[in-house]
Amino acid sequence: MTSQTLDLTGVVCPLNWVKAKLALEELDQGDQLTLLLDPGEPVESVPQSAREDGHDVTVEGTRVTIVKQR
Amino acid sequence: MSPLSDSDLERYSRQLVLPEWSGAAQARLKEASVMVVGAGALGSPVLQYLTGAGVGRVGVVDEDTVELSNLPRQPLHFTPDVGANKAESAAAKLGLMNTETIVEPYPARLGRMNAEAMLMNADVVVDCSDSFTTRYTVNDTCCALGTPLVEGGVLGFEGLVMAIKPGESACYRCAFPVEPEEGTVPSCREAGVLGPVAGIVGSMQALEALKLLTGAVPPLLDKFVQVDARTLEHTIVSTSRRPDCEACARVPAATQSH
Repeated sequence: MTSQTLDLTGVVCPLNWVKAKLALEELDQGDQLTLLLDPGEPVESVPQSAREDGHDVTVEGTRVTIVKQR
Repeated sequence: MSPLSDSDLERYSRQLVLPEWSGAAQARLKEASVMVVGAGALGSPVLQYLTGAGVGRVGVVDEDTVELSNLPRQPLHFTPDVGANKAESAAAKLGLMNTETIVEPYPARLGRMNAEAMLMNADVVVDCSDSFTTRYTVNDTCCALGTPLVEGGVLGFEGLVMAIKPGESACYRCAFPVEPEEGTVPSCREAGVLGPVAGIVGSMQALEALKLLTGAVPPLLDKFVQVDARTLEHTIVSTSRRPDCEACARVPAATQSH
């Protein structure tokens, strides 16, 4: 299991989710991806997209941790 | 690592966010080569959407020149293009639409003699021709090459779209074994056509080509869709491979599914 961090501050929606999604594609099931997001729309919409894709998501402020589920 | 640049991610972001789509699907498009037969009413939307979506190489074959009467339904050609070759006119616009795509115009007529040479490097062929002779030639050649094909046609207010994986699903000749004799079916010129009707059919062809190229969504195999643009009614018609199909008999053994 690996853990990776992606700084997506300054990256607007939906490009931030595109980058997160492509990073997830490179990972294996159970791997962890931590995203640093801007407050507002990004931190609301990116975790929602990750959940809709079936991943486990934890939000702490603007720090979002995704555990790849599929 | 992903072969997609930051500019690619931004350009294709609205398709990349689709749950059905992926970086891998986008990368497959970038590596892919498509040949579009005809740059007219069906070819215009097909070429625009495939180039826009990020297909790496798009070839377009058409020997005709742009006529004033083409302009209402062939949105790749503009008034100053009247008299220019359609493949060249289309390629000029597509080059501006997506600078990442290599567009290759072939101002030639596709016939029995050159079809195999013209189509052999394509991963998918999209048939946007306006004659039954060319349509059967393209179908038979794609079967002989084992190359996936999207057929399409429009006549008046009616249209048809069919995706074909030679050796795996019914080909155009399986579905329509009797080739109409030259002149027995009215050409578009004689029958008339309204631009958006061709736009609907061409858009569906582009969609099926993207499905075949990426595998993101299964294409419409062993079926074709009939569209009645008067009522906007779509009918899915099931079809199947004919054991005695002369086109399918030429599919290379490596592409046969059984």
